[in-house]
Amino acid sequence: MKILDIALKDMLQSFRSVFAVMLMFVEPIMITGLIYFAFGGLGGGGSDGLDLPMTRVVVANQDQADATSGISAGNEVTKILQSEELADFLEVTMAEDEAAARAAIDDRKADVAVIIPAEFSKAMTVSGARATITLYHDPTLTLGPGIVKAVIDGIMDGFSGYKITADITEKQLARQGQTMGPDTLRALAISYTQWAQNQNTTEGASADPTISLRGPSGSRTPDDSPLAGILGPVMAGMLIFFVFFGGAYTAQSIVKEDEIGTLARLSTTPTPSATILGGKLVSVFLMVLVQSIVLLISSALIFKIQWGEPAGVIAMTLSMLVAAAGFGILVASFIRNTRQGGVMLGGVMTLCGMVGGLFTAGFNTPSGTFDIISRFVPHGWALDGWKLAMSRASISEVLVPAAVLLGMGVLFFVIGTMLFRKRFA
Amino acid sequence: MRILDITLKDLSQIVRDWKISLFLVVMPFMFTLFFSATSAPAEADARLPVGVVNHDPDGVLSARLIETFEGSQAIRIVSLKEAEESQVDSLIEKETYAAIVIIPEGYSRQLLAGEDIRPEVIAISDRPAGHSAVTAIRGDIKRVLSAAKGAQLSAEVADSRQPFAGDAARQAYLEEGITLANAAWDNPPISTEMKAATRIDTERSQSTNPAAQSSPGMIVMFAVFGLITSATVLVAERKSQALQRMLTTPVHRWEIIAGHLLAMALVTFLQQAVLVGLGQFLLGVDYLSAPVGILLVMAALALWTASLGLLISALVKGEEQVIIWAMIAMFLFSALGGAWFPLEFAGKAFSTIGHLTPTAWAMDGFQNIVLRGGGNGSVLMPVGILMAYAAAFFGLAVWRFRFE
Repeated sequence: MKILDIALKDMLQSFRSVFAVMLMFVEPIMITGLIYFAFGGLGGGGSDGLDLPMTRVVVANQDQADATSGISAGNEVTKILQSEELADFLEVTMAEDEAAARAAIDDRKADVAVIIPAEFSKAMTVSGARATITLYHDPTLTLGPGIVKAVIDGIMDGFSGYKITADITEKQLARQGQTMGPDTLRALAISYTQWAQNQNTTEGASADPTISLRGPSGSRTPDDSPLAGILGPVMAGMLIFFVFFGGAYTAQSIVKEDEIGTLARLSTTPTPSATILGGKLVSVFLMVLVQSIVLLISSALIFKIQWGEPAGVIAMTLSMLVAAAGFGILVASFIRNTRQGGVMLGGVMTLCGMVGGLFTAGFNTPSGTFDIISRFVPHGWALDGWKLAMSRASISEVLVPAAVLLGMGVLFFVIGTMLFRKRFA
Repeated sequence: MRILDITLKDLSQIVRDWKISLFLVVMPFMFTLFFSATSAPAEADARLPVGVVNHDPDGVLSARLIETFEGSQAIRIVSLKEAEESQVDSLIEKETYAAIVIIPEGYSRQLLAGEDIRPEVIAISDRPAGHSAVTAIRGDIKRVLSAAKGAQLSAEVADSRQPFAGDAARQAYLEEGITLANAAWDNPPISTEMKAATRIDTERSQSTNPAAQSSPGMIVMFAVFGLITSATVLVAERKSQALQRMLTTPVHRWEIIAGHLLAMALVTFLQQAVLVGLGQFLLGVDYLSAPVGILLVMAALALWTASLGLLISALVKGEEQVIIWAMIAMFLFSALGGAWFPLEFAGKAFSTIGHLTPTAWAMDGFQNIVLRGGGNGSVLMPVGILMAYAAAFFGLAVWRFRFE
């Protein structure tokens, strides 16, 4: 009973501290909220939930229409760039010439200049002719120019595909001593264009003609929102970081009580030191339990994060709690006074969070070396486990990182408790 | 002179605590190194790893598909071993591969016969690596399909003029067409090229140096965080009534505020100087191509963060509140200002609001020199806006400042 009294007193103290509440509950939600807002979570996002940035494109179309066929491929490219389908993420204006387009980028009035050369249509119609479209872009940008390049490459591949079809037909007919003629060329153009349009209109749909796309079996489907794909790991990173921080912050109360003398006063009462230490440990465990539950539920409600199947979530929550409580007690056992505590907690937790990949979760896939290093800290195993749980991996797969976390937690707990017992003996 | 005395007193109080250096210099530098390292390719080949299982090893189109994948600038293919084939889902879950492509048996034959057959692609396409890999795979397959379609159309034209003698003749004509089309696709008639608008020559270009984003980003973020130390000194003085006592001396109120403001600005400026030096000499970020411009940005950022620190210390009562508000300011201004990730990655609303923040202008100032290769003059606008923000925050702080 005394254990619970001590634990409840500590919890009450923690909940009364605005600093602790901010640190344990508000900051993880706030950081994830900022990412949510950044990537289109507060309206404005597309149907897939991801809000694509608007890229300002300036087009310098210097193309001269083919004299015989009248084809102006440059105009076709410009029309596609100005089409309604692309209007949600491309804001297209026209420049008088190449110099004006380049100046618009240099003066930061546009993000990407599409410079269509004079011989562009010729490359479409004359055998052996070639042309290159230049994309001149702001060097601080990568995503916008990447999107424009993908769009242009798609158009170029369509044009090149037609040109190559016409060229090989002409070559093969020539080998048989025949010529193509304008009617055949026109028929080829119609057939190829219809086929290419069919390829593009069904791309991404279930009837995608190029590939049959699926996610890992039993996992999310490829139709899941990209925003959820970023937010889930980000929130998992924040959950782990702040739960471990919360555990260590609560465990610090032993040091605080020692410093202000209440621990010594408590030891004059008929309370065994094992009970006092036990109460402190229970408070750490209960605090991180409450923190985890609040963060899991609130993030699921606010950001619609799907943490996974109940069995995986329970296994990960419990193992993370043991690891966070054990790690907190171990770190606190090295802290001599509360002045040292802030630096120790800040330094150790930040370092472990970094090594464990918590700050880049959702954005970067860890490379081989980072992946190996992340296994030396419980944070890395926790992130691995939550990622598996969120992707609805089988419980046997989730249990591997959960078991490692549990083992680490128990080990930290035993060492931390021994150090504290020795210190307060 | 009195202003300087107050400033020096604050500075000596701050530097006396060795632990401060952890937050002011060591931690931001660690973060810069970490984010640069995680953004940089781990291996010489930075392409995304994609596993391939080819059940159509003798097919003309599948062979071409593998060739096209091998020439890709976006993906690096790895033939899966037999043992791995049964674990494709797990390999994707563990992110060993960004995607896995399974080319079905009879792919080439059925495709040339006009039947619907597609390679199976396993990927988590809502993750950035998975999405990029799928886009690249789709583009490569479309080129192979286009070659096949071109050959088919050519064969149809030939057949319409003079029917083939039999299936073998048709097949030979088709395969010849595919060979010609593939050769043409190796050097397509129309192509695109990317050119960055920078005055920095290609050899010194920073566009591929991940530290060119993370170093200024961390400088800006920790400049805001660093105000905790100096703002705490001011709050502690108010709590201990040292500020009130100062009012009994012949020092003017404005001199006291200016002295503390100068201390805060100097701490942030020196912190930036150390981080700029580390960025220049250890991470290869070319800050010193326009030293005067960099000094101007640093000074303006220091003055703005000092004004923010003064405002926070004017509004709060205890040291813990300083930490809370400084952290909130750090998160908000860093994320909105593009210190965590470039604002171009964010949505319209976020990036529009973000571009209004002083941190976005500080990032602009740094990047105008580091990435755009602009000279000292390129920072004048960002510096001017930062100074205007500094003046506004300073005005608010003085208005709300309490000595008691």
